[in-house]
Amino acid sequence: MKLTRARRVLALFLLLGSIVHRLDAASAPDLEDQTRAIATELRCVVCQNLSVADSPSEMAQQMRAIVREQLEAGKSPDQIKDFFVSKYGEWVLLKPRTTGFSALLWILPYVVLGLGVIAALWVIQRWVRKKQVISDRPMQPAVSQQLSGEPLGDEFPQPDLDDDSHKARLLRERIRLQHELADLDFDFQAGKLSESDYVALKQEIEAKAASVVQEISSLPPEPAKPIRKPASASSRHQQSTSAPLQRWKIIAGGTFLLVFGLVLGVMLTKAARPRGSENDTITGDFLTGTTPGSPEVRAALDEGKQAFEKQDFPKAIEAFKTVLANEPNNPEAHSYMGFILVQAGHGDGALMAFDKALSQAPNFPMALWGKGMVLYQDKKDYAGARAVFERLLNLIPPGEERNEVVKVLAEIPASGGIPNRSAVAEKNPGAVSPVSAQITGKITIDPKLQGSVDPNAALFIIARPATGAGGPPLAVKKIDRPSFPVDFTLSQENVMMPGVPFAGKINITARLDKDGNPVTRTPGDISGDYRKNPIEVGTKNVDVVIDQIMK
Amino acid sequence: MPVRRVVITLLIIGPLLALLAYGFTRDSHYIVSPLLAKPATPFTLKLFDGRDLNLADLRGKAVFLNFWASWCVPCREEAHELEAAWQKIKDKNMIFVGVAVQDTDQNALEFLKEFNISYPNGKDETAKIAVDYGTWGIPESFFIDPQGRITYKHVGGIRAALVVSKLEDAAKSIVSAQEGKGDYSAVK
Repeated sequence: MKLTRARRVLALFLLLGSIVHRLDAASAPDLEDQTRAIATELRCVVCQNLSVADSPSEMAQQMRAIVREQLEAGKSPDQIKDFFVSKYGEWVLLKPRTTGFSALLWILPYVVLGLGVIAALWVIQRWVRKKQVISDRPMQPAVSQQLSGEPLGDEFPQPDLDDDSHKARLLRERIRLQHELADLDFDFQAGKLSESDYVALKQEIEAKAASVVQEISSLPPEPAKPIRKPASASSRHQQSTSAPLQRWKIIAGGTFLLVFGLVLGVMLTKAARPRGSENDTITGDFLTGTTPGSPEVRAALDEGKQAFEKQDFPKAIEAFKTVLANEPNNPEAHSYMGFILVQAGHGDGALMAFDKALSQAPNFPMALWGKGMVLYQDKKDYAGARAVFERLLNLIPPGEERNEVVKVLAEIPASGGIPNRSAVAEKNPGAVSPVSAQITGKITIDPKLQGSVDPNAALFIIARPATGAGGPPLAVKKIDRPSFPVDFTLSQENVMMPGVPFAGKINITARLDKDGNPVTRTPGDISGDYRKNPIEVGTKNVDVVIDQIMK
Repeated sequence: MPVRRVVITLLIIGPLLALLAYGFTRDSHYIVSPLLAKPATPFTLKLFDGRDLNLADLRGKAVFLNFWASWCVPCREEAHELEAAWQKIKDKNMIFVGVAVQDTDQNALEFLKEFNISYPNGKDETAKIAVDYGTWGIPESFFIDPQGRITYKHVGGIRAALVVSKLEDAAKSIVSAQEGKGDYSAVK
């Protein structure tokens, strides 16, 4: 019996132990949860407006890994936060500490709130006291009668608005109440009030007014106080001296507001600017020390130009972005960005870039040339293109460049329609190839890569000169969300650089690009080269199999 | 009375305007490092040539520690400058250490080859060293004196002359009053 009881106690103990253990396990926060909780309180050092927990940046991921590692090493959340503070300062905490200087951030709002409440209470108290002074006086029927018989208007003494004496306040109140009575009469006559309401309200106002009048009459005379009586000659004189003062106040106030607005406007436009790149800030210029024309900007511009000449477009883009981050209105950088966008087949973006350049430098030849070519070649806006080229013609001296502009102007038809390419071809047979010069074929996906096809990707069919020198494509065709197999035709109208003929030996490549940007190559994009590269323009049945995954 | 009101209004609005104006002069992205004049955190860096480099082993030398990445434009701009500075001081009691962050081995090695970098370089795979030094922009450079104390920090591209000058300061344990700034990219 005893043994059985002991076993039951033991079993109960074990059961309780097991439950307690499970409860402990359930209550101990998961490592991931702990990591996230700490990461939520840390500011991502790259994006800054996000916490380390929410930021997708690589740096934030690495910071999260460090948090997790330190938790595993047994450090407390406070120790981990201290670690990051020791590296980045208090800045890294999204929730500032409640000690030291940071405590001000927590205390100040309450102090300001408290002061606001005190100020509001003080104002209300003053207001109530004034009301009480007025309303608590006993009414004398004779005074009330006198008041109701008094006319409204300017015959009463007009207290100075800046006069804060008791008598002046009472005088102002009396005028206010009389106006109130007049309004009441008007409302009653207009039928907005019932008779009973009118009578009740009138009695109430008259009672207040009577008490005011009574109090005024009981006050000792104050000859020293300037009380205006507009009807009298002396008050007119006083008014004439106070009016310029009032006018001066209005002028001073207006001037202050104007200057304040101007300063604020100038500072805002100088300090804030559109982000030039992901890495750029919205502040810049002299306020943050990044002055235009600095050696760094010039170096970046030179680097961009060199990269552009070498047709290293990603590098050129980075360099021009750097320039624009420091000088958002640099016309040269905008123009080069425009030409890069032309290369990428983004006519609208290019036009925008050229327009940005021209908004800063209306006679910038490079931007005029680019804009003219986009209008002519891409937008078929012949009138617009003609106007731009004619403007350019007036700006550049005689020489090869001017001849080129003249040539293009001759090429542009006088009115709408397709440009007269055949005429140009006759004049300059090397410049534009015949319309019949084209490459046709089909793009297919290797069966083993079927799983790698992104349905939202864009297909680029790229023709490069088979010189082996690399560089930009001769012609590119973009097909969004293609359905394979894709039949294609490449011809003169797909040529990237205006005036370059679609001719010669060419290498054909097809790339299925996830981000749809022909300039960037993302790992995971798939591509394929035509097996019989290089080919001549005019070749048919160019069947390209996409069979490579880009790394 | 009106003068008193104007004064009170100005006393309230003035500091707020001053605060606003001050805010406009700040670059909200910029993080001022608390590490200046503090001991440099020790680390072991796996160099690209396979060796391990311990900061502790460099005690007694002035150290130039440069965080870089092959994708960062200002890093490319300063690469020639750093190598030129290294050639100037390599026979002195000074050393350069390059730390590649957020980069691939291949790209980093190509970068070193492209710019003929000859001083020791390695990769901070987990960004631990980068975080230990509170980096947030690339490139960032730290100057460490022979006693292992950070004497100067420079965010952004740096010129050879400044590297040599600050290293000479570091050799004499002269701590700069504030950090320097050039062009930089935010880390990814």
